[in-house]
Amino acid sequence: MALFLLRRLLLVGPVLLGVSLVVFAVLHISPGDPAEIMLGPQATHEDITRLRTELGLDEPLAVQYARWMGRVLQGDLGRSLWMKRPVLGEVLRRFQATVVLAASALLLSTLGGIALGVLSAARRNSLLDRLSALASLFGASMPSFWLGIVLMVIFALWLGWLPASGMFAPYGGGGVGDLLSHLVLPTVTLAAASLTIIARLTRSTMLDVLGQDFVRTARAKGVRESFVVVRHALRNALIPTVTVVGVQAGYLLGGAVLTETVFAWPGVGTLMVQGILARDFPLVQGCVLVIALGFVLVNLAVDVLYATLDPRIRRE
Amino acid sequence: MRLIAALLFVLLMPTVVVAQPAGTLVVGLVAEPVALDPAQVTDLNSNRVGRRVAETLVAFAEGSTQIVPGLAESWTISRDGLQYTFKLRKGVKFHDGTPLDAEAVKFSIERQIVPDHPASKLGKYPFANYFFGNVKAVEPLDELTVRFILKEPRASFLDVMAAAAASIVSPTAVKKFGLDYGTNPVGTGPFRFASWERGQRVVLEKNPAYWKFPVKVDRVVYRPIVEDQARLTELLTGGLDLIVGVPPDFVAQLEGNAKLALLKQVGAHVWYLGLNNEKKPFTDKRVRQALNYAVDKDAIVRDVLKGTGAPSKGPVLPGTWGDEARLKAFPYDPERAKKLLAEAGYPGGFSTTLWVPESGSGMQSPVAMSTVIQSNLKAVGVNVALQTMEWGAFLAKLRTKEQEMFALSWMAGAEDPDLVMYPLLHSSQWTPNGPNRAMYRNARFDELLSQARAITDQAKRAEMYREAQRILHDDPPWIFIDHEVQTAAHAKRVQGFRLHPSFDLRVETISLK
Repeated sequence: MALFLLRRLLLVGPVLLGVSLVVFAVLHISPGDPAEIMLGPQATHEDITRLRTELGLDEPLAVQYARWMGRVLQGDLGRSLWMKRPVLGEVLRRFQATVVLAASALLLSTLGGIALGVLSAARRNSLLDRLSALASLFGASMPSFWLGIVLMVIFALWLGWLPASGMFAPYGGGGVGDLLSHLVLPTVTLAAASLTIIARLTRSTMLDVLGQDFVRTARAKGVRESFVVVRHALRNALIPTVTVVGVQAGYLLGGAVLTETVFAWPGVGTLMVQGILARDFPLVQGCVLVIALGFVLVNLAVDVLYATLDPRIRRE
Repeated sequence: MRLIAALLFVLLMPTVVVAQPAGTLVVGLVAEPVALDPAQVTDLNSNRVGRRVAETLVAFAEGSTQIVPGLAESWTISRDGLQYTFKLRKGVKFHDGTPLDAEAVKFSIERQIVPDHPASKLGKYPFANYFFGNVKAVEPLDELTVRFILKEPRASFLDVMAAAAASIVSPTAVKKFGLDYGTNPVGTGPFRFASWERGQRVVLEKNPAYWKFPVKVDRVVYRPIVEDQARLTELLTGGLDLIVGVPPDFVAQLEGNAKLALLKQVGAHVWYLGLNNEKKPFTDKRVRQALNYAVDKDAIVRDVLKGTGAPSKGPVLPGTWGDEARLKAFPYDPERAKKLLAEAGYPGGFSTTLWVPESGSGMQSPVAMSTVIQSNLKAVGVNVALQTMEWGAFLAKLRTKEQEMFALSWMAGAEDPDLVMYPLLHSSQWTPNGPNRAMYRNARFDELLSQARAITDQAKRAEMYREAQRILHDDPPWIFIDHEVQTAAHAKRVQGFRLHPSFDLRVETISLK
């Protein structure tokens, strides 16, 4: 197990290096220039050239990359061009909000998805199963920003039950209750797609398992049906689900951008969007690196969990 | 099943929306401020907050951009127009207790323009050249008197001194916070900076010792909410008291709402369709006239902007002192356009390309507006290929001088015609050295603008600008489209708020019921 973990950990470095190369290249190759945006339409060519030199943007890309990477290796992500603050502190602060949102969405999609999947499988072709199939179709095909706006209009504007945006009340809030009420709509929005994927997967693996001999044996022995489903079948059906949950966790971390923007959630996604619009290279690079690290660590955790559940994997 | 029921219960549990505490005004912004040092930013949202904290020597009057005293209670201008001497208000202190004096004025401006100034490297100053490139020296004469010496006379200098970039900041605070001053601003304004949680809110608290009048609101909380529907929902459910920049599609909805007030105000702004005057067929003024007749500005303002624009007849804001009131906007007349095109040798029209930014400060609804223009021009035989670009890429591309047509706007923020006509249309300002991206050149126009900025007699200047506008009507550099009508909506508990033509958001006049 230790060897397995070590091997996996050794891979983190090259993955992050690859990510850093790709994000650096994409940002610097795409049109648009931070100096241009910082100085605005009244700036002269001279002003822009001077600022480009000050920012080191006139040097070859390889030199710029090497300089940035050199600092990153020392734990310094640089200073944001746009908001003039050290990148690392800003990104980590905003990452916390993203983790809160992604974790609650993961919790909802996992518990909700497994429950829905098990129920659909146990009562195949029932009304619940059909409804769940229909809901899954919707959940998987609806764009999250659209779902977010619809939920906002219904629950915030019409019913007035929940706040429409933000993480806390604008002033004087800050308690757990305040956070939870602000968390509901973005969580449901973000979780919708993952929940349906997990539900469909759990349903199909459950159906597979429920048709196997050991389940028939259990039933023949007169074991209660709920016990058969939960203790015998679900346990065996969970392994593929764990993999998908892991993939979804990474997706939720990186995919929260749209949901965060719709609900003005102060996460790393909204920060990254602002950074991209301002062509704030150090900031966007920092955001992507932190998200990538989160993604890699979640996948590592899933691998470890998977290996624990199924010892065959460790030996491969 | 029970699990789902429990989950649903938790999710749908009604919660009480927290009402704002008395004395707290919550304002919704379209985007988060970049920084709160007005000398270091170019965006409206930063200035809308930053100008509450730091103030300028002279200011714009309520409801207009006429110059009135600010931190300077009076000023004199030398006969040659080269020396501006300001007498500062006595007893004014920055929020950190530093007294406002001539040295602070010198510091605030010189940090932007003197390369070896100790605070020069503490920020990037986008207006250093554009506004203060003409300043030769800033000399404190005594504690409360400061003199600006210009390299050449510039009649719009007082307007420059009212611009956000000319805000007077506490030298003590700049030295103390260094690179982080932009997130810890200290000025003399009606509100002092309290806190900023990025992505969530900026909080300002009232300055109890404000020199101008007692501020009635205890604190202002600014929330950046990018999504239009979210901003509107927050306003309608009491989460916000005031929003500025109501999206055109929501204007009608808010107009009929009894719980809210909707405000409109034309701003010192112009949205134009630039034509490259150096490229055929735009070298022929008949072609440029024809294009002005071919575009239905009223329809754009009515159908795309839903009334959040006023059709424009030129760059100068109607109703201000420099405006040539006798000129009328080009009427929508496709027949006349066709005739002019035929006279110019293009009876069958021509094909061209229009560059459009997807968004950008002051750009209103660039793609939708350009699409209407495209179809208008098609009707007179001009085939326009739209090319949309991201804002930064668009600005960079305009420096190549390869543009044929381009959609752009200019927010002078002040009414002096020098601040819009000179940069955009004087031939010395051709891109890439200045913002004249249409490469417009008209000898008489150049002469009038150069003369008018060198004298200080406003009546004489107005006469010259009126002639200049008549030239622009005959020899149009662009297709004139509109001036933005800014919009704001607020809850009924907000009293005493007015929009300002400079696009500033003066919440210090507000009291809460």
